[in-house]
Amino acid sequence: MRVHNQVAQGMTKKSSLEPGTARAQGPATRDVLLTDKHAAPSPLLEESPQFLGDEDIPFERYTSQDYFDREMKSLWPRTWQWACREEHLADTGDVQVYDIGRYSIIITRVDEDTIKAYLNTCTHRGTRLLDGEGSHYSQGFTCPFHGWSWHLDGAIRNIPGRWDFPHVTDATHGLQEVLCQRWGGFVFINMDRDAQPLEAYLGVMTEHFDAFPLDRRRIKLHVQKRLPANWKAAQEAFMEAYHNFETHDSPHGANAQYDIFGKYVSRFIHNLGSYSPQALSDYPGDKWRDPPMTEQEMLAGLAVEGRTLAEGETAREVAAQTIRENLGAELGVDLSATSDSIILDSIEYHLFPNMFFFPGIVVPMVYRFRPNGMDVDSCIFDLMLMEPLPDDEEHPEPPEPIHLSVEQSYTEVEELAWLAPVYDEDTGNLQLQTQGFKNAFKGMTLGNYQESRIRRIYLTQEEFMQQAEERS
Amino acid sequence: MKDGYQLIASTTDVAQGKTLCLQLDGREILLCHAKEGFFAIDNLCTHAEARLSEGKLKGCKILCPLHGAAFDVRDGSVLTRPARTPLASYPLRIEGEQIYVLTEATNA
Repeated sequence: MRVHNQVAQGMTKKSSLEPGTARAQGPATRDVLLTDKHAAPSPLLEESPQFLGDEDIPFERYTSQDYFDREMKSLWPRTWQWACREEHLADTGDVQVYDIGRYSIIITRVDEDTIKAYLNTCTHRGTRLLDGEGSHYSQGFTCPFHGWSWHLDGAIRNIPGRWDFPHVTDATHGLQEVLCQRWGGFVFINMDRDAQPLEAYLGVMTEHFDAFPLDRRRIKLHVQKRLPANWKAAQEAFMEAYHNFETHDSPHGANAQYDIFGKYVSRFIHNLGSYSPQALSDYPGDKWRDPPMTEQEMLAGLAVEGRTLAEGETAREVAAQTIRENLGAELGVDLSATSDSIILDSIEYHLFPNMFFFPGIVVPMVYRFRPNGMDVDSCIFDLMLMEPLPDDEEHPEPPEPIHLSVEQSYTEVEELAWLAPVYDEDTGNLQLQTQGFKNAFKGMTLGNYQESRIRRIYLTQEEFMQQAEERS
Repeated sequence: MKDGYQLIASTTDVAQGKTLCLQLDGREILLCHAKEGFFAIDNLCTHAEARLSEGKLKGCKILCPLHGAAFDVRDGSVLTRPARTPLASYPLRIEGEQIYVLTEATNA
């Protein structure tokens, strides 16, 4: 059912509608997509809002050591998570080490068709085998303690002083394998060997991303930054566009669309090159509302300069066409059939617990948020820009991540260009929020619609950890 | 060449992202061609003397194939355990396509 036309009057007062049915005034995201010249693919026209409750969420979820320890026991060792891209493992012997809290996983290409993942631990006396996270290369693994070694397929290669270990076999002392499956060019791992298959876990994403696949993308840039907040607070700063007005001084996003697809997947779509002045009716000041931005001003906002709009042309169609032609030529990719929405919009899919995938062209990101070691109050934010890859090209060697500390600014990464100040703004509130979490008489309040994805993750995580605890 | 620099290779001998192992004055030197430029380091890992030429260059990181130590090819510094001692790093001078090395290492 489409509900956004049931406009709530007087949004500052309590809505008379059923909880969760109220929507911002003015045209909704889907209305914009339906008027696009290059029609949006059908998954983008689906709407799937859900009202999931309006109780406050306790801040202990973000601050408590007990909760963090529960996550280490019942979340991270049980859930699917992408560890790297397939192109990180182009050659036999290419290795990636993926760390998550106290856990560390080795992922390696065993042969042309096989990628395997193991706990990064010696089966003799438990030493971590490979130290640094990220890329390694080897035709086998050798423990630096006593020199036990394994082939890439995890079978024992050599045990010095073998006579002393008649009780050791491949079956008992091969590398400890974990689940490893692939989707969209990403390599996922799961330490729970009884976990449901990745495809089932991905839910609607497999079908939706058939319309905008990610396997033919290359990593243009990978930035890995430490952030001064719990991993959940950090990712939740990227799950709604409600903050755009105050944090980014932007009118876009006040009428964004939010969808919940089952327990593990959610989505927002917010338009670029179009916004709803009516949706800002009770925001402070008259900016962008009285008068609203002209189509010409919006075109300039999309960095299309020197082009005067003709009568009846919209910023959206002209910007999409300009980008289609210019970026298509620059990248050597045919974007002629790519919809205006995929070209322009910020379309963000979230996969529980910590992964984000954007199928867009101007907004082509992938995010991952995870604890920074065992620290409750800080996290690691992996940001990758995923550029379309020409049909006839093989994946180039992916760039090594650029590391930024808590104190460093995204503006130090030149390739981020216009995105750098946006990410500084997004992450600039986190330290203040973490302080506020620990200085409150009440918990977190969420908008019923615009912040529903945050509640979805909260509910899923509670259920997921409880089920894991019942199993163990 | 003067100042002790010796001609060791041409810039066309090693593609970007690749390495080349060279014998010079009785030691093995690894010439690395990263996006950031050409660099020369010792070829033997300071941890267990495995040949880094059998490892791989990723960005400015050379990866040891034996125990997974990594070094920064720009200055030989250690990036990951189990290595603790930096690799010797050798100054280069590039004139046209010719690469010259000074085998008095900067941090040997």
